[in-house]
Amino acid sequence: MGYFEGFGVTLKKWGEGVTTKEYRGGRTNRKGEISSKDQKAPKPERVHGRHVLNKYEDGMEKCIGCELCAGVCPANCIYVRGKDNPVDDPKSPGERFGYVYEINYLRCIHCDMCVEACPTEAITESKLFEFSFTNRSDAIYTKDELLVDDKGMPQHLPWEDWRPGEDQHTSGWMRATAPSGKASYLGTGWSGELGYGVREGDLPQDEKDASVRDHVTVDEHDDHGDHH
Amino acid sequence: MTATENTEPESPEVDPGVPFTLNGVELHANEGELLISAAERHGVHIPHFCYHPRMTPVGMCRMCLVEVDGGRGPSLQPSCMLPVTPNMIVNTESEPTTKAQDGVLELLLINHPLDCPVCDKGGECPLQDNAYAFGPGESRFVEEKRHYEKPIPISDLVYLDRERCILCDRCTRFADEVAGDPLIHFIDRGSQTQVNTFPEHEFSSYFSGNTVQICPVGALTAQPYRFAARPWDLSETESTSMVDSTGARVALHSSQNRLVRIQGVDSEATNWGWLSDKERFIYEATDSPDRITEPLVRDGSGEPVRTRWNSAIKKAVEALTTASDPRRIGVIGGARLTLESQYAWAKLLKGLGAIDNIDAQLGDGLPADVVMGLPKATIASACAPGGVVVLLGADPKEELPTLYLRLRHAVQSDGVSLIEMSPRQTSFGASVAARLNPLPGSAGQIASALADGMVGTSIGGISSGELTTAHELLTSDRPVTIIVGRGNLAESADVVVSAIAALRRLVPNATFLTALRRGNIHGALEMGLTPGYLPGGRPLGTALAGWEMAPPSAGLDAEGILRAAAQGSLDTLVLLGADPLRDFPDHTLAAAAFERVGTVISIDSFLTASTDRADVILPAAMFGEVDGTFMNLEGRISPVQAKVTSPGQAWPDWMIAAEFAQAAGGDLGFGTLAEVRADISASVPAFADVDWETEGASSDGSVVETGGSIELSLTETAPIPPADDYGLRLVVDRKLWDNGTMISSSASLGDLVDDAVLTLAPADLERLGGQSGQEAQVSIAGGDSHPIVVKADGRIRPGVAHIPFGVNGVQAQELLTAGEPVVDVRVQV
Ligand code: SF4
Ligand code: SF4
Ligand code: SF4
Ligand code: FES
Repeated sequence: MGYFEGFGVTLKKWGEGVTTKEYRGGRTNRKGEISSKDQKAPKPERVHGRHVLNKYEDGMEKCIGCELCAGVCPANCIYVRGKDNPVDDPKSPGERFGYVYEINYLRCIHCDMCVEACPTEAITESKLFEFSFTNRSDAIYTKDELLVDDKGMPQHLPWEDWRPGEDQHTSGWMRATAPSGKASYLGTGWSGELGYGVREGDLPQDEKDASVRDHVTVDEHDDHGDHH
Repeated sequence: MTATENTEPESPEVDPGVPFTLNGVELHANEGELLISAAERHGVHIPHFCYHPRMTPVGMCRMCLVEVDGGRGPSLQPSCMLPVTPNMIVNTESEPTTKAQDGVLELLLINHPLDCPVCDKGGECPLQDNAYAFGPGESRFVEEKRHYEKPIPISDLVYLDRERCILCDRCTRFADEVAGDPLIHFIDRGSQTQVNTFPEHEFSSYFSGNTVQICPVGALTAQPYRFAARPWDLSETESTSMVDSTGARVALHSSQNRLVRIQGVDSEATNWGWLSDKERFIYEATDSPDRITEPLVRDGSGEPVRTRWNSAIKKAVEALTTASDPRRIGVIGGARLTLESQYAWAKLLKGLGAIDNIDAQLGDGLPADVVMGLPKATIASACAPGGVVVLLGADPKEELPTLYLRLRHAVQSDGVSLIEMSPRQTSFGASVAARLNPLPGSAGQIASALADGMVGTSIGGISSGELTTAHELLTSDRPVTIIVGRGNLAESADVVVSAIAALRRLVPNATFLTALRRGNIHGALEMGLTPGYLPGGRPLGTALAGWEMAPPSAGLDAEGILRAAAQGSLDTLVLLGADPLRDFPDHTLAAAAFERVGTVISIDSFLTASTDRADVILPAAMFGEVDGTFMNLEGRISPVQAKVTSPGQAWPDWMIAAEFAQAAGGDLGFGTLAEVRADISASVPAFADVDWETEGASSDGSVVETGGSIELSLTETAPIPPADDYGLRLVVDRKLWDNGTMISSSASLGDLVDDAVLTLAPADLERLGGQSGQEAQVSIAGGDSHPIVVKADGRIRPGVAHIPFGVNGVQAQELLTAGEPVVDVRVQV
């Protein structure tokens, strides 16, 4: 008993179809194309995916190697080392830059505490979570891999399944709190960012709360985001 | 005990102190105690920035304002400037107090940059902490802040960021008051007030790192630590510095198994929280590319080849056991080791190997019986108010800088009188009570004259006035401490010994500090790494279980060992972290010794000139990587702790000794550190009661009785003949920054080493027809000439030429001849 019931559940579910069936892992056919049926489900705009390290509009790195993200990370998966900025070739504005930056995705729980902690909006998360690896060293993203490219867009690594348009929405406005840490902040502004420019400040918190409330009454399935 | 009327101090009623009320609780303060420290002692923390318990309060920052009612109604007063007075009522939590704290912090933060994420202090910053705990939480200042050029280097080791400075006066006070190097100061006025150096003068103090440690903000940062880690990824262990024999207490900070910082720990007994930059930054050496990480054995072609421990030890033990006679083996070094390692090596060599040609000093110290047998003072007793200190050795600022800070404080603030008998003027400058800098070789003569009371006329160029002052001080009933060392490597140790003999004749109760600079040298002598002695200062021949093989008669010291090697009568030379080719004060002899000696076995952490000649090189773990115990110049033992793992296959020295014993078919009787300690406790009476486990509980460690029962009989030798007209008598001494292995291996310190300069009295330079700054030739009789820059210096006595040892350029050891009482040089311009 109990043993065959388990198979029963499986059989029943088989008949029901699979909720994630649209997504087949981005496998390509012989022509190197992804099947048109292989669709990712839409994600809410604040979903937490793999990180990016952003740059300023002039191409300077935003990360200053302060290790606050590493300090706050509950999974202890960020490793940062700072260094004096080379005077003739500064990597970031100011004295210090992130010299080593690594995130171990075998441990990251995508809580976004690092994003909250970052004083410069250097680390944010993209929406991408469709990535898998076959060895440990691929799983540890280095600074070279995390840094956005010359256009400010995330790099597409071989083991990641990026689809057109997914590069968007990776930048600073993912943050939930104001730099002052106060819930009642008004109109947070963001620093300019390569590829996105200066984003509009967020709504004051009370207006935002109201808009979220409205949103929830209209669409109960908030999980599936706006586009569903 | 029965109390009598005239013993009032014995009365059971202890003076309870000054009564006062703190936050409604009635308490007592000590007489004259500052309110801020009395409150702290009673568990009430008053926030502060400028107050530092080891410096004079100045009331600069106003953070410590509290509401005080001294009888005329409550008012806000700085608690760091206010001694507790009877019945004072203090409230540190009242509304006016918190309002004042809010206000002070808001004002301090007006011009303070939002640098915390890139600031080395961020995470351990008193300004951050106080702003959180006592600040208003909100700034009303929206205007542009004051700007300065971001960090400016004020020395090779320290950067200053004036935007972050809160003008607390700690660094400037330290430089002026504690270090005596007033090279940084406040300049300008009003909101432009800033700390800065004098134009063209950098903050080149041996103690500059302390300002970084005591700066309550991140305005001062240390170049070697800049951005190396953040406070939250540091882990910390308390240890004892092995850099010199003061044994300063330190905290080792590591991140990712790398030492990244050393901070001073306030030990009442030794360093009072201060460190020299050498003690502070020397950790860089642990990371040096010159570290030896694997055993190396030189093959037929002369190249060192990596090998396994087993075969390297086998080769080394072969060399030791095939020597026809233990007297054909010599061992030099051991002062860098921990007490436990020293004991293990002494037991291996003497107890098992019957070898007694062992010397931990490299001809630059004092005879072992003198070091162990003199009645010991402590740093505290030497610095106790009202005492007299005789300085019969080198300038402590160059050799034992933290001891210098303690002595300087004693002389400046506690009425200690200093009699300077060092070979040349020291850094105490004008604050010495009597200046008796004897000509090289004549210290004994001057001391004898003092002992005989012959002070009416000048002797050896020292005026009768100075002699009389010194004589009066020594014959007053003030306690006398004599600090002895080798202030002149060009003069034999006998000269110092004869001066000691004479001074003891004059002041029989005098106590001594043996100011030898090598780290754990006192431990080495105590553990028997010196000819003639078993551990505990007991002469060879004393029955000691486990040491049955110890030879009956004393062997050779370092000079003797090198001479034997140079004559071809030494088969094997073992170097325990020693580099005689660079360090022995007679290069000709050392070079000749290495030329002819058979096998050289080097146990070291670094590749040195001497390891280049070694046949077997074994990697030893170093300071910061080993657990053990240190003995300082007072005989104080305190723990040394490992913080990081040693690189590659380096081992602690005591383990190497144990492996040697096993490979030779013997057994030292220990396999763990605890067993080594138990063995020491069992065989050295002074250590019988040492509780090794709890030794680290207090930062002060504890003083053990050293030297066993050595009975000293010292002789006052005859004076040395005067130099001829052409000759200048040589003074060679050490500088803090020299080309020692550790300094050269530390990335930030290697460049601080000066070039050799020969200084002489202005009159002498004029007589020679030379100009200050020009190049001249210096030579000893029958020796090569060496080009060297000469400088006139009014502080050098006529007839004396001074050259520092071990710096860049001319190597003073090439001018020295071991065994000569004095060295005369000829200078030609
Ligand atoms: S990503 Fe942000 S928080 Fe992390 S080290 Fe860089 S600047 Fe600091
Ligand atoms: S000194 Fe303190 S408060 Fe100022 S920037 Fe540095 S960490 Fe922040
Ligand atoms: S640099 Fe630091 S220690 Fe010096 S005055 Fe400024 S805040 Fe004080
Ligand atoms: S601590 Fe008292 S005024 Fe600064």
